[in-house]
Amino acid sequence: MNGLERAFNPRTVVVVGDKKGQGFFWLKSLKSFQGQVYSVQIDPNEIPQIEELGYTNYSSLMDVPGDVDYVIVSVPQVAAMSVVRDCIRKKVGGVTLFTSAFAETGTKQGRDAQEELGRVAQEGGLTLIGPNCMGIFHPKIGLRFSVEQYFGEGGRVGFISQSGTHVGQMAVVGALHGVRLSKGVSFGNAVVLDSPAYLEYLVKDEETDIIGMYLEGVKDGASLFRLLREAVYRKPVVVWKGGETEDGRRAVMSHTASLTRSPLIWEAALRQAGAIPVRNLEEMVDTVKGLLYLKPPFGDRMGIVALSGGQSVVVSDAFARAGLKVPPLSTSSYKELEAFFSVVGASYRNPFDVSWQLPLDNLRRILDILERDPNIDNIAIEVSGPFLARRWESRPGFISELMEILVEFREKWDKPLLVMLTPVQQEAIAMEGRAEFNRMGLPSYASFDRAAQSLKRVIDYHRFLGEA
Amino acid sequence: MSQHSVLSKARQEGRRQLTEVEAKDWLWEAGFPVVETQLARSRAGAVALSRETGFPVALKIASPQVIHKSDAGGVKLGLNSQSAVARAYRDIMTSVADKHPDASLDGVSVQRMAPPGVEVIMGMSKDPQFGPVLMFGLGGIWVELLKDVAFRIVPLLPRDAAEMIREIKGFPLLEGYRGSPPVHLPTLEGLLMKLSSFVEANSEIGELDLNPVFAYPDGATVADARIILEG
Repeated sequence: MNGLERAFNPRTVVVVGDKKGQGFFWLKSLKSFQGQVYSVQIDPNEIPQIEELGYTNYSSLMDVPGDVDYVIVSVPQVAAMSVVRDCIRKKVGGVTLFTSAFAETGTKQGRDAQEELGRVAQEGGLTLIGPNCMGIFHPKIGLRFSVEQYFGEGGRVGFISQSGTHVGQMAVVGALHGVRLSKGVSFGNAVVLDSPAYLEYLVKDEETDIIGMYLEGVKDGASLFRLLREAVYRKPVVVWKGGETEDGRRAVMSHTASLTRSPLIWEAALRQAGAIPVRNLEEMVDTVKGLLYLKPPFGDRMGIVALSGGQSVVVSDAFARAGLKVPPLSTSSYKELEAFFSVVGASYRNPFDVSWQLPLDNLRRILDILERDPNIDNIAIEVSGPFLARRWESRPGFISELMEILVEFREKWDKPLLVMLTPVQQEAIAMEGRAEFNRMGLPSYASFDRAAQSLKRVIDYHRFLGEA
Repeated sequence: MSQHSVLSKARQEGRRQLTEVEAKDWLWEAGFPVVETQLARSRAGAVALSRETGFPVALKIASPQVIHKSDAGGVKLGLNSQSAVARAYRDIMTSVADKHPDASLDGVSVQRMAPPGVEVIMGMSKDPQFGPVLMFGLGGIWVELLKDVAFRIVPLLPRDAAEMIREIKGFPLLEGYRGSPPVHLPTLEGLLMKLSSFVEANSEIGELDLNPVFAYPDGATVADARIILEG
């Protein structure tokens, strides 16, 4: 079994150097871990509390009984090398070096220490993650690096990130959107293993259907490019590249010390390989959510259903701006609609302004007509926030009826369906509503533009594969 | 001159930049539709070559030290007669010697003027992370002023070549604009594919420009080329 396989799926984990000063967050996060956890700490002031937390402490990694699959190293930089050498001797599966103060300091000492670390790890054949990173998140087995992260039920999305913050954010923010991670990894300065190694691992991983990446640079871009080119035919890969501006690039230098050049080249490389470029966490979450929950789209023509005339206009703008089309319906659809659509002041042209008085039965009929209409590929429905809030109070059953209709549609039909629920005076209710839609597998969005761009990226991906 | 001798001669002379004739010979050998370009070491030689080639011709200064040939007065285009060639030769030599007193002047390159077409640019540069990257754009202000260019990582697939041509904003100019005939896009796609394999096979090339390439309704011609070797 290779090192990454053991590190991602460990039975025994050892934390070296966790301490009071950082709130024992490593050991506390590992309370959820299903396997065995040991601590290594030599400071007598720290050991009693480690034992109070319920962990057996050893004074050296070499003393830990049995095989060790995964080691988290949280010692000062000066002590890191000797722990790394122990890891090699102990033949551990993989190591996360949380320790920082390497090349990202921009100093000669830092760079030299990083070079030495890389040399020793490579010579010892050590699977080294980092340094300057948070390592592996595998919720299904309770392997976490923060107590805020969920565990138990994982998802189908793998996340590879040069930054620990962004894996953490992707986990917790993603969860609010119905996006849960299968596995995540934060790999920092990438001295031995760089993004291509993790990509290769997650492409093969059976728990992972979609891959997200946050990158600041890559040493061997050609190999990343080659891997991406193959990977996208097996799983969609969404890439968020940090440091895309001059100022951002300077920050990258002091964050993970990655080389980075023209943003144009990155963007071109990602598109050429068929990966999906995004610019921030929101776009990452929205895109992954679309990939996860939308039926595979076959085209870019929208059927839009809004609850008011004003919204029908701006929803259409948002989708058109994203490069999608809002065409008229077929003649036969109009004939069918004429027969029952009779709300005064509303419109059944596309976009639909169905008004707030819409009987839900009619909504069901409209959706069925859109599903059958040959001019339409995708359907987006705007659920008005104020309306929702009002109905929530007067008729709590309404939202569940509405949801029932949409879920029924999703199960019965093939066209992608998006729900848009914009923030209003009742944001708490809107959030609850969105979360509920997401839970039901109906991707919901807090803005029309976010919905439109999410769908556009999903369509572009299927187009790249020649399917849309 | 063969590719091997071109490279070793440049290395021997401590040059990273190949001369126009060296670059074009190499590309010609590799199968690029390059305008035949020969070196004339004297005024009489220039006249003789231009008679052989057929008028109109272009003369350009041949000197390893002179990179910006036009700025040095080292380029004369559309020369229609032997006397015009003789005069141009003298003017080029005088002007370049005046502007670059220390440069060694090998003579001039002589080539038949390529018929006018839509000017496009193809190039290769190396990215520290991704390696060789190809660039495509329209000539003149499109690249220089508007930065209207498309990039692709080597190796290109045929779809990449097709997409990078269609991705630039000026693409309608290639499809025939205001009554001008459309250029032959498969030729341009083929050239980009050829360039991708060429730079992949010749990793000693650090930078390369085909500028301009004239695109025609039935083909294309590489009118000028620049190759810089890896340092």
